[in-house]
Parts: sequence; C-alpha cells; structure tokens
Amino acid sequence: MSEDIVKIKGTSLGLQLSFAPEASFEDVRENLRQKLESGTTFFLRGTLVLIPRDVFMGSERDELQHLFHEYGLICRTQKPEAEKVQKPETKAPAPTPQPASPPVNEPEDLKPQEMVVVNKTLRGGQEIRTKSSVLVCGNVNPGAQIIAGGSIDIRGTCRGMVHAGAYGDSTAFIIADHLMPTQIRISNLIARSPDEMEKTDRAERASIKDGQIVIEPIERQDKTI
Amino acid sequence: MSEIYVITSGKGGVGKTTTTANLGMGLAMRGKKVVLVDTDTGLRNLDLMLGLENRIMYDLIDVTEGRVAFKKALVRHKKYENLFLLPTSQVKDKMSVNPEQLVKLCDELRREFDYILIDCPAGIEQGFKTAIAAADTALVVTMPEIAAVRDADKIIGELGRADKDNIKLIVNRIRPSMVESGEMLDMDDINDILSLDCIGQVPDDIKVVTAANKGEPCVASDDSQAGQAYRNIVSRMLGEDVPFMDFHKEGWWTRLKHMFRR
Repeated sequence: MSEDIVKIKGTSLGLQLSFAPEASFEDVRENLRQKLESGTTFFLRGTLVLIPRDVFMGSERDELQHLFHEYGLICRTQKPEAEKVQKPETKAPAPTPQPASPPVNEPEDLKPQEMVVVNKTLRGGQEIRTKSSVLVCGNVNPGAQIIAGGSIDIRGTCRGMVHAGAYGDSTAFIIADHLMPTQIRISNLIARSPDEMEKTDRAERASIKDGQIVIEPIERQDKTI
Repeated sequence: MSEIYVITSGKGGVGKTTTTANLGMGLAMRGKKVVLVDTDTGLRNLDLMLGLENRIMYDLIDVTEGRVAFKKALVRHKKYENLFLLPTSQVKDKMSVNPEQLVKLCDELRREFDYILIDCPAGIEQGFKTAIAAADTALVVTMPEIAAVRDADKIIGELGRADKDNIKLIVNRIRPSMVESGEMLDMDDINDILSLDCIGQVPDDIKVVTAANKGEPCVASDDSQAGQAYRNIVSRMLGEDVPFMDFHKEGWWTRLKHMFRR
C-alpha cells in the first residue's frame, strides 16, 4: 500500500519521485520519512532528489525540503516536463528561508572569492563594503569605513573604522602598518582603541584569539609602500 | 592659458573668502588679469573683503540666468585695474546656480582672464558641487584644528569623487606659539592625515581682521606676516619656488619690534 503513494525512479541526475495523485500531503510525508528511515541504498548522502513541481506548493514544499535536508539529500523541484535537465534557475526557495539573518550557514558565500584593492587614501566619509578581502595601499583616515567579508590589509596608517569578517568569518584579521583605528570589529566582536593611543613603529595584526580581539606586532617582509 | 582655481574647505570660518580676496589681489599685483567669482550665494562676503559692496549692480544669478552679459556684472577693483569681482546674490540661495551654468560661464571668462578664482561655500551640498564643477585646481583651506582637518579630509574625498585630482593645501591661521607648546596641531600632524601638497602656511595675524574690516586685503601691506605668506602663495601659484616662512624663528626681539610698529 505505502509503495503506491510515493514512487521512486533512478535517473542519470538522481532520484525522481512521483506521488499518487489522491494521496494527502501528510501521507506523502509519513511515507517518505519511513522510506528515508529504512536506510535503503537509494538514499545516499548528497543524492539529488527531484520532485514534481506542481504537486506541492509553498510551505508543504519547504517542509519536504527540510525533510530531505535532514537526511543529507539535495532536493530540487522539477519543471513540469519531467525529462528536462534541471537548470539552476528552477531551484526551489533556499533551504533557509530567512535572508535577513546573517548568512552563517552558507559556507560557500563565506569564502572570500577575490580581493578588492584600493590604490588611494580612504578619506573621511568614504566606505568600502565588500564580501571579499580588502587591500588598501594608502591610509584609512578618520571617518572612513571598511566592511569586508574577508580580511583587511592596510599598507599605511589605519585611523578609520575597520570591520573584517563582517559576515561571520571569525578567522579574518586586520593588518596595518600603523594600526590606530577608532574601532576594530572582527566577525561579531568589537574592540575600541584605548583613550591614550600609543604609537608603534611596527606593523600590527588584529585577530580573534580565545574569543577576544588581540593585537600583536608582526614583521612585514616588504616595506615598499 | 587661464587657470581656474576653486577655494574650498568643508568647515566654515577657516578663511576661504579671505584667502580668495588675498590671492586674487596678490595675482593682480603681479600684473595678472584676475576675476574672483563668489559662489557663496545668499551669504556673500567677498565684496566686503575687497571693499566693493557699494558698486554692485548685477550679480552671478543675473548672468547665469541670461539677464545680463557677464561683462556688465563684473566689478572692477578701485586700486587694481586688472582685478575684477563677479559678486553673487544676497537674496537668492545656493540652489539658484547649477554646475552646468557655472561651467559655461567659466568657459567664457577663460577667454578674458589669466586667473579665475572661485570662492566656494562651506559644506558639501549643492553649492559646493556647483563651485567645484569648473575648477582645474582646488585649493583646500584648513586650519590647525581637528574639526577643520577632518572636514578638509572629507572635502578632498569629495573632490576625488568629482575627478578633481589637482588639489593643493593652504593651512591658515597658524599660531606659532601654540604649535610650539603643542597645543595646536603642527604641519606634521596635518600632513599625516591629509598627505597633500602644501602651497601655503599663513600665520594668524590680527592685521587680517583689520584689513578685512577696511576692505583692503592684507596681501598689500608690507608689514603683515600674513600678507607676506599670501604673497608667497601667489609666487608658488606662478610657479616660483619660494621657501616656507619659519614662524618659530621669530624671537622676542622681532616680536617687540612688531609691537612697536603697530
């Protein structure tokens, strides 16, 4: 009986599901859960599962997505023409439907893809906002802001506000020849400069250690800029 | 070849208008044909500095709106034949002129004059954008005070955004005694933040105030330190290599002499 509610067919892409038209959503869900629990070799982790597009909508589809995710399966909705190869655009709503929250659980977005190079001094009121890392060949003046998903390297004096790992990367760091910002932020931590600023001649590196922002002097190989 | 300078600062009260008047007169004293354009519409002051308030017939708005030719609006200076002022309106506001109008006007002025100095309003709003639109070179005026330096930094950023890369710095109202005692920012502190080519360091001189009240810029008076500093800037604008004045060397004896001369 339960075999008739959900039919599974193997294709070159992955598994294709079809549902009995008269079955209710609850039935389908329970049936799928049983099948997933049964540990058939069908459901290897990472397998792509295709479900027909027009059977379940909205919250029901989201629920199915969650169910598959629990078992490590990737779920895609299908175009009505079942044989068509899936295009990325036809992707169902993202598994985590809260775009407002910081994208902590999207590891591929966290990886800095490239580096933004700024070949000038950042003046007060200017802002760099990027998901990648930032290299500044020049100073960062008071009132300027850098908000980077990756790390920040400043070949000059940093007096502005710098935020590395702004999208949750706590391994990000900040380097500057003279690190004297008004505030340093890494990931979700904030440190402010001491009221009496001390001047150092060496380049410094700020990073997170044991849950707090630590600044330590470093040796730069090239002092060309 | 004529050159268009805009004198700007960000913060108000650092001496943009004084600088414009002094540099304009200084250039005129060196035989150049100069026009000073006041773009601080609504708060015009440049005419006062030059003592020309009572001679104004038409203003910048009349010219940009096509009511009169610019030649009719120009006010010639009493003493210097080749110094002209294009005053602005006291009743209209800064929105009355747009950047295109000023660029068009400056293109016309270019044919007649060697130097065009534009006095810019404080702030970074529409008036600023209009004033800088036509300029070849920007002279950023600041004074040794943290707020003025910060605002100058912001202005330099805005100038960069408007593709004005030829920027020079003038540090105004320096009080040597306060700098020496460390109470005022010194040139190193300012350079540290602004990192700009400096073409002028002007000491704070009470003569500047008395000269402004009389409508005679101090650049013309020989016994004023600030006047000397302005003459040096004029020389640098004309491409001469003049060393910066050393205010620190002024010992108590010279100071005494200055006191008696006053």
